[in-house]
Order: sequence, then structure tokens, then C-alpha cells
Amino acid sequence: MSNMLTVTQVEKYYGNKGNLTKALDGVSFSIQEGEFVGIMGASGSGKTTLLNCISTIDKVTSGQIIIGGKDITELKSRQLSEFRRTKLGFIFQDFNLLDTLTAQENIILPLTISAVNHREAIARTAEVAETLGITDVLAKYPYQMSGGQRQRVAAARAIVSKPAMVLADEPTGALDSKSSRMLLESMEKLNVDLTATILMVTHDAFAASYCKRILFIKDGQLFNELIRGQHPRRDFYSKIIEVISLLGGDVSHVL
Amino acid sequence: MYCKLAFRNVKKSLRDYLLYFLTLSFAVCIFYVFNSIEAQSVMIKISTSEKEILKTLTQLMGIVSVFVSIILGFLIVSANHFLIRRRKKELGIYLLLGMKKNKVSRILVIETLLIGVISLGAGLFAGVFASQWLSIFTAKIFQADMTGYRFVFSSGAFLKTLIYFGVIFLVVIAASTFAVSRNKLIDLFSAQSKNEKPAVKHPALTIVLFVLSVICLGVAYQQVLQNGIMHFDWILLREVILGAIGTFLFFASLSGFFLKLLQRIQGYYFKDLNFFILRQINSRINSAHVSISFVCLMLFCTIGILSTGLGMNAAMEKSLSSATAFDVELYTWGGNPTSISDDLAAKGINLSDYSDRTYEYKDFVNPAILRNTVLTEDLQLQLQTTYFMNGIESTIPFIRLSDYNTLLGMQGRDLLSLKDGEIAFSYSSTSQGLRDAIAEKWNRTGKISLLGQEYSVYPKVLSDAVVSIGEDCNLALVVPDSLLTDSTGAPAVGFSPSQSYLQFNCQGDSETMQDKLESRLMPFYTEESSPNYYMISRNNLEASYAGTKAIIAYVGIYIGLVFLMTSAAVLSLQQLSEIADNRQRYLVLKKIGADDRLIDRAIFRQTAIYFMLPLFLAIIHSIVGLTVANEAIRSLGGLNAAQNILITAGLILVIYGGYFLATFIGSRKMIVREERNG
Repeated sequence: MSNMLTVTQVEKYYGNKGNLTKALDGVSFSIQEGEFVGIMGASGSGKTTLLNCISTIDKVTSGQIIIGGKDITELKSRQLSEFRRTKLGFIFQDFNLLDTLTAQENIILPLTISAVNHREAIARTAEVAETLGITDVLAKYPYQMSGGQRQRVAAARAIVSKPAMVLADEPTGALDSKSSRMLLESMEKLNVDLTATILMVTHDAFAASYCKRILFIKDGQLFNELIRGQHPRRDFYSKIIEVISLLGGDVSHVL
Repeated sequence: MYCKLAFRNVKKSLRDYLLYFLTLSFAVCIFYVFNSIEAQSVMIKISTSEKEILKTLTQLMGIVSVFVSIILGFLIVSANHFLIRRRKKELGIYLLLGMKKNKVSRILVIETLLIGVISLGAGLFAGVFASQWLSIFTAKIFQADMTGYRFVFSSGAFLKTLIYFGVIFLVVIAASTFAVSRNKLIDLFSAQSKNEKPAVKHPALTIVLFVLSVICLGVAYQQVLQNGIMHFDWILLREVILGAIGTFLFFASLSGFFLKLLQRIQGYYFKDLNFFILRQINSRINSAHVSISFVCLMLFCTIGILSTGLGMNAAMEKSLSSATAFDVELYTWGGNPTSISDDLAAKGINLSDYSDRTYEYKDFVNPAILRNTVLTEDLQLQLQTTYFMNGIESTIPFIRLSDYNTLLGMQGRDLLSLKDGEIAFSYSSTSQGLRDAIAEKWNRTGKISLLGQEYSVYPKVLSDAVVSIGEDCNLALVVPDSLLTDSTGAPAVGFSPSQSYLQFNCQGDSETMQDKLESRLMPFYTEESSPNYYMISRNNLEASYAGTKAIIAYVGIYIGLVFLMTSAAVLSLQQLSEIADNRQRYLVLKKIGADDRLIDRAIFRQTAIYFMLPLFLAIIHSIVGLTVANEAIRSLGGLNAAQNILITAGLILVIYGGYFLATFIGSRKMIVREERNG
């Protein structure tokens, strides 16, 4: 399998000379095609900054980010939005569904932006909705759905354009435990059935336990790496908790 | 500290809502300018009667200003409501940090005062300078010379502006204080996340409402086209109400209807951001259809007032020369046609001092020949409404051909000759339309039957303006002398003299002579007794024409500008606050890969549709309205409709288009800036 994402010595500094914050300080890792990778870290550890840099919303200070063979730190603004449109899918913490649109219209949005033929777009929307079990809410508006349904609609929107990689930022952050479980199972399904490459940022050990591999970040640097391998999820979860306790600062956050 | 906070907030809002402050200042400026008209007259050389009219104009402006200030008051209060709503979270934070409610109110009061002082200051400053320009315009309307430039400052208008806008700002202060004291902390905080209730209407209902609105408008249009607007009665009122209801229903159902329609065309609906734009507009119009309807009606008024106002002006310009041919006219009233010149001589007024040639004559009436004998019903109606003439059953005056020719001779014009048994209509008003109608009616038959005898009609309607304008509505029949009097001058059977007329041109400096005669004659008009005749001079006429012109022009421009500005400002504020409320949506669009160009286009289309919709319906209203209005004005005189409509369109394009562009640029900036901050 080839590398989907390669991050090399990425640095991101905020502020000026007198007051410099190193949000990312020499981060390097790579993700292979079809992987489901989690990034964990305490608040302020730089995990969201990393995700923003990978998702081309933010720019790195130095270093390289190569997605699907393309160095995105060298792309121009117009190319960036095209790249986002065709190669990346997003799932946000607060769903970020457009509340004036129905579920179907929300899901189809990335396709119409990429000027996909409307018949094909509608067919693909139906297909993705089927996979995520939200066919019956397609005609509903976000405010008529449950939180879990909303997040699955958001997930459907993220994958409908068949992106090279799905980026999820705390996708379970606003969900109750039952909805969280359903969403994570859907994501697992996407990863296994559709071989979608998923990069998920979270500080929830339960959510992270669904990943195949977890990267831990502390103060802008890679701190640890966990690989699930053939272990059952329960064991993996315990391991994650162990690492989190090592991270120290985050114990209070978890408990 | 509160002052500092307020200062900083104002600075920030000035940047965000620059358009609003410009509107405010412009409103103040217009208000001052139109209330300072009287003061401007010091620059212009005008007669006493023109001064009187300027005074009337000022009084009228006062009344209009009350109306205008109410409209502006609504604009300012509702704009403030928007601004407060946008800042609820900020106010919540103040309260959360332990600031007392009255302290928060105090910040708002200081802010409102600051905004008020800034906009009042800027507006008055601009107004004082703009009013200098208006003086030139005033001089042009009165066709008067400028006495030389003098810097005009109207303290009256200044004070009035301060008081009126002061009251408006006090209301704003009360409203925002109320908004703070009424709201719970939790409401202030969740204000931003609270979605406006989506108005889910049943599709069938939308279609029914839309069809209903089209029917309402169609019936209103058809009726007003059929009935005209010359009569202000309950039929017209019914048409207006029907039109207004149709407008409201139209905007209540329009977006839902079109959304349903376009959803069927999937190839269009699911293209680019089309469905997103449509949904945005749908939700926008659903929650704001009432204000959009008002904007539409205000735009309609603007178009109507501006173009007919300008049209009336052009019509009156022409009418003065065609209304009278003589400098002075005296005419009796009360059915006792005594000699005017004898009475003047008895009063010691020697006519030869004023003119080298005067002529006095009488007209004759026959109680058996009424207006409705010679006019069709709609011609009578037109006459009646145009001249507020009472009684279509009144008699029609007859003038002897010899008298008519004498008058023509005094004017140095070609004499009129009538064949035996021929009579001529004389109608020397400005109304080309009515003249044509009369000519057309009688030329078709060429014959008229009076008292059982048939006469042929002279093929032209006479319009030499030699018949006195004192003559009721100017319509008269010129007939051979033998028809009215015998050789001794005694009236023919059935006829009797009705009024005496004395007409002449002044010698020497006509204007001074007119004023001199008037001042000689005036003392005889007392409470106890007065002569049985009136005097009209060209001076009087000119003043009243110029005055009417000025009134129509000023009131039209004043109200038109305020309406246009208010409606554009309302739309602009709503659109800006909607973009601010929904910036999250646009950021989501950006994140999922919509590039700037696509977003720009979405914002542009949304703003354009939002601005165009009310204008579109207003234009359709106006096409119908102006068709009818032109008909009415044509009966007052010729109207160059196309030119006035072009001027109006230009004005709308500049002001409304300016607001549109500013709104679009502002919306774009808001989203770009948010992206940088987010």
C-alpha cells in the first residue's frame, strides 16, 4: 500500500519575535491508504492546528505535507480549494450542516460544487445515505433530525465525493454516547467497506479506540504511537488510557 | 471606562455599518436642505406674491417633514434593532462579567448619543452646503435672478433638524434600553445560535397564495386602467387596497412557489450553489416578506412621485404661455355684468395710465344650452376634475365673433372668419388631450344641434388664449354676432349677458404696471364692500405657476429621495445582518471546497435577487400606475413621459444601485474577514 499522507518536519509558529508560540514543532509521520488513524492530545497540544494544516485551511511555517503525491504547502489559493473539493472530506464537531438545506441537499453540496452531473450526484447521494442508514431522513431538515442522524449526514457529506482522505475533527464531541457509538461504527464501516482513509482528531479515548493506529501529540511534538493490530477494542482502549495517563496533563481531562 | 468602551464600540460599528451611518447623515442633510428653502430666498430676486408662495411652500415642507421624520424614525429604530440583535452576545458578556443592567444600558445610551452626534454633525454640515445649491434650483424654478451669492444658513431648519432627529434618537435610546432590561442573560447568549423559525408552508398553500396574489394584482391593474385615477373615491381606494394585498401575498408566497418550481428542474437546481442560494433567499424572504412588501410599495411610490412630479413640472412649464395672452384681466362675478371700466373710472383709476388699448366685452348664456348639450359625458368629467368645476349642468358661455376678433386684433393675430351657420369651440387651456378630444368628437359629425337648429362646427378648436382665464374653465363657443345680439346690441331671445370682461396689455414696464394697478385696486376690497369683479395679472399667474411647480418638484424630490433611500437602506441592512448571521454557512462552504469565486457569485446573486425582487414588482406597478397617471397629466398638458421616466430610472440606478453595490462589497468583506479571524 502507498502512502496517502506524509507529514515531514512540519512547524507552525504563532505570534511575533517577543512572544512566539510553537503550535507544531517538527512533526513527522505518514498514513497509508485505507488506514483509520486517530490523533490524540490535550487541549492546546496542537492537534487541531495539525488537522487545519493538513486540511489546507491553515498554512505551515515550514515543512512539507504531501497528500496523494501532491505537496499541498506549494499550492495556490485557487488550487487549494480545488484540492479540498476533490481530495478531502470533512466531518466537524458541530456537524456544520446548513440548516436551510435538507439532508439530501447537504450531502449533495460537495458534488454540485465540483460540477458533477446532477443525475450522478443524486444517485451517489442515495448510495452513501444507504451505507450510513440515513435514507429515511434525506428529505428532512437538520432541525428535524436527532444529533446522531445529523452527524451521519455530515459523514455522508464528507465521503460523497469519494475523497482521498476524510478528516474528522472531534466528530463525537457534540454527541451522546449512543449516537457516538453509532457514528464511530459508521466510520469504521466506511473505513473497512469503502476503504476510506480517515484521520480523526479526538481527545475521547473511547472514540480513539475505533482507530487502527493512534498518534499522540504533546506541546506540538509527536509523543507516542499506538497500533491496534489484532487486539480487541477493549484492550486497545486500556492501552490508550495508559498513554493518556503518561501524557499527564490530560488525566484530569479524561476522568 | 464606559465612555471608552462606548467609543470603541462606535468606532467598530462605524466600520461595519458605514452604509447605515451614511444613510443617517444623508437623511439629516436632506431634512435640513428642504426645510431651509425660505431662508434661501434672500439670494433670489422675487416678487411679493412669489414670497407668499415660498412661505406656503415652507409650511407644506413642514407638514411633509413630519411624515418624512416618521418614516426615517422607523428606519432608524429598526436599524438599531438589527444592530442590538447582532450584539446580544456582547451585551451578555458584559452582564456575565458582573456589569449591572443599567450600566450596560448606559453604554448603549452613550453609543447612541455618539452615533447621533456624529451623523447629525456630518449631515448638517453637508446640508448647509447642499442648500446653497438648492438656491440655484429655486431661482431657476421661479425664473428669477440671483441677487448675488450670499452664504445662507437657516437657523430655523437647523433647530428643527436637531429637534426632530433628537426625538428619534431618544426613541432609539428608549428602545435599546428596553431591549437590555427585558432580555434574560440566557437569551442574550443563545441569540446567535437561535435559528429563525423555518416557515414550512405547505406547497399547495404556497401555490394557492401565489395564484391568489396574481389574481389580486391582475384585478387591481385591470380596474385602475379602466377607471383611471382622476377621481379619488372608494373605487380607487379599493384598487389600492387590492394592489397592496396582492403585493403582500406575492412576497409571502413567491419564494416558496419558485423554490417548488425550480426543484422540479433538477439539472438547474443541483448546479453549483443554486439550491443553496435559492434556499437562502427563500428563508430570507419568508421571514422578511412584510418589510420587502413595504419596500416594494415605497419604491413604487418613489417611481410614481418622481416621474409624475417631474412630468407635472414640464406640463406646467408649457401651460403659462398658452393660458393667457393678456397682462391684465378683470372679470365680473355674480350674474350682474356691469361695466368694469366705468366702475374703475368712478374709483379714479384711469386705465389709459396703464395701457394704450383696453377692451371690454360680455359673454352670453342661454339656460337651455348646457355643457352636457355640447360635451360627452367623459369630456365633462375630465373638465370637471381638472378644473374642480362644479355642476356639469351649468350653462356654456357664448362669445360674439366680433369680440373675439377684436381681442385677436389686440394680440396682432390673424382674424377668425366663420361661415354662415358655423360656430367654433374655444378652449385655451394647456390640455392638448382635451382639445383633441373635443375636436375629434365634433369633427366626426361636423354638425351640432342647438335649440333645434343645426350648425356646422369650425374644424379647429380655438386656442388663442384671448378669452379670459377668468372664464370658467375656458371652454366657450364663438358664434356669429347675429346669433347673440340684434343690430342694436340687445340680446337675442333666450340669451342674456352673463359676465363682463376687461382685458389689456400694459404699456411700459409691464411687471411694475401690474403691481401698481393691483395696489391701486386692492384698498377697495374691504370687509364691508368690494367691487363685483376680480383682477388677475400675469404676475399673479406666474407666481402661482412657479409656486405650484416648486411645490410639486420639491415635495416630489424630497419624498422620493427619502423613500428611495429608506427602502434601499432597509434591504441593505437586512442583507448585511443576514450575511453576518449566516457567515458560518459560508465558511462551511469554503471548507468543503467552494472557491472564492463561487462564494462571491453566491453572495452576488443572493444580494441581486434580494434587491431586484421588490424593484421588479414596483416597476410593474409603476408601468400600470404611470400609464394611468400620464393619462391624467395629459389632460393638464403635454407630458414628456419618456424623459421623466429616464431621469427617475437614472436616480434609482445611482442610489439603489449604489446601495446594492455597497451591500455586496460589505457582505463579501464580512466573510473574507471572518475567514481570517476564524
